[in-house]
Amino acid sequence: MISSRATSFSVRLAIFCGSLGLFILVWEIASIRTGNSLILAGPVSVLQALGGLLQNHLPHGVQGLQGADAAILQTLATIVFGFSLGCIVGIPVGVIMGRWKAAEAVIDPWISAAYSIPIVVLIPMLYFAIGADFLAEVFVTFLLTVFTVILNTHNGVKYVSNSLAEVGRSFGASETQFLEKIVLPAALPDIVSGMRIGMGRAILGAVLAEVLMSQNGLGGMMFIFQDVLNTPYMMAAVFLIALMGVAVLQLPKILEHRLFKWKETESISRGVRT
Amino acid sequence: MKASYSRYTILPGSLALFVMVWWAIAVVVDNTREIAGPIATGTAFVRLFTDPPLTKLMLSGLEVTVTSILLGFLLAAIVGIPVGFLMGRYFVVDLFLDPWVNIWYSIPAIAFVPLTMNWTGVSSTSSVVIAFLIAVFSIIINVYSGVRNVSASLVDSGRAYGASQSQLMTKIIFPASLPSVMVGLRLGISRAIEGVIIAEMVFTVVGIGGMLDDAADNLQLALSGALIIVLAIVCLALTGAMKYASRRAVAWKESQAMVRE
Repeated sequence: MISSRATSFSVRLAIFCGSLGLFILVWEIASIRTGNSLILAGPVSVLQALGGLLQNHLPHGVQGLQGADAAILQTLATIVFGFSLGCIVGIPVGVIMGRWKAAEAVIDPWISAAYSIPIVVLIPMLYFAIGADFLAEVFVTFLLTVFTVILNTHNGVKYVSNSLAEVGRSFGASETQFLEKIVLPAALPDIVSGMRIGMGRAILGAVLAEVLMSQNGLGGMMFIFQDVLNTPYMMAAVFLIALMGVAVLQLPKILEHRLFKWKETESISRGVRT
Repeated sequence: MKASYSRYTILPGSLALFVMVWWAIAVVVDNTREIAGPIATGTAFVRLFTDPPLTKLMLSGLEVTVTSILLGFLLAAIVGIPVGFLMGRYFVVDLFLDPWVNIWYSIPAIAFVPLTMNWTGVSSTSSVVIAFLIAVFSIIINVYSGVRNVSASLVDSGRAYGASQSQLMTKIIFPASLPSVMVGLRLGISRAIEGVIIAEMVFTVVGIGGMLDDAADNLQLALSGALIIVLAIVCLALTGAMKYASRRAVAWKESQAMVRE
């Protein structure tokens, strides 16, 4: 049982490729049987649309739209700026909450509240308060990212093991040394997994802001294709968004396992919330 | 004890601070088309419960939203828990499903919206489908990791006493993995809530999410704010109920640990 769990990566990959082939086959057959490309576009036509999108060819009937490459770049820029801002604010706040009880008491109820209530309900209000430009989108992305980053950083810093802390104290570490040499390295796996999950949230935030506020970028384009009933192009946009999510949430996971082998695996996979 | 005491004194204080900052911003901006202050929002909130047609509208919206959330969540639990168990127990299932579960889990909720619009239209059915799709994979992942982490000594002793496969499942593996299952369900309901709200805000005609988006579009920002407060209370109630249920369900585990010590 135990040895069969550790099946080699290549076997897993082969099985995945096989089931991927099966999935595409079933999808193609289903789209042919449906016989209506408006409802379900087959993988071949979606792939063609994807090629068109990436070569910046837009379908007929779509007007007033930025080019496909500009849309993708804009979405990526929103994600990068919103996510970076979320980390720049979130990591220090999380560290302060983890180190000082008073800060924790003041901030923690707000973080919990922000977690129980879907932040996305604020988007229609923000639209009128701050407009629908690039900065507004970045702000929405920031809002969706920052609480995840804070929560994970807070957890990592708060639960730095006592024995580590005591060693530091008994060797007379100053507060900055303590933070720099003990707390931050020990909390790093949690901070990094918070950033990973936060980046997944950033994608949701950026696309959602585009759909609900500015109607440009990849998210806006997706719904414009939907409006003109061009399902293959719509599904190609959906595919790109899905691909971003998978790339951001799954690839760094492999990296994390390599980087933080020294820490027990449990805490690495302990992404608190997505 | 001291921590909870300070929590109860600090929370009203920071709430008051929040309202004051909000009020100050509203006074400085001084434009009801950009921001509604706490007083206007409070008035709208009261009006939601005292103006009969508005109350009726809100309640019908709320009914649609809560039904969609619960239905999507329930479906996700009914599908997710058995699938997670099978993946945890049977290696072949794990081998085939694991990459797919992780891939679908990573897809942002908004990407599901246009597809379901094509299949089930702009309706509460679509919200249910989206809530299901968003919740089910995080339930599967948590159930799976719970089952995988059941300690081998528990399973071995069960085997040694001649437990059948079904006894092993019901008497040992299920109770031992219950804490992870409950974590999955708690994440699941939060995700179902978010999925339904996202779907409704895009559809703009369904449920309370649609209502608040519509109110904002009509520049009734105070009403929109009041609806957000209603929605926040409902969400807190739903997640709180789930938290309570999970605490009840795994209470035995903590008490057992204490006895052992």
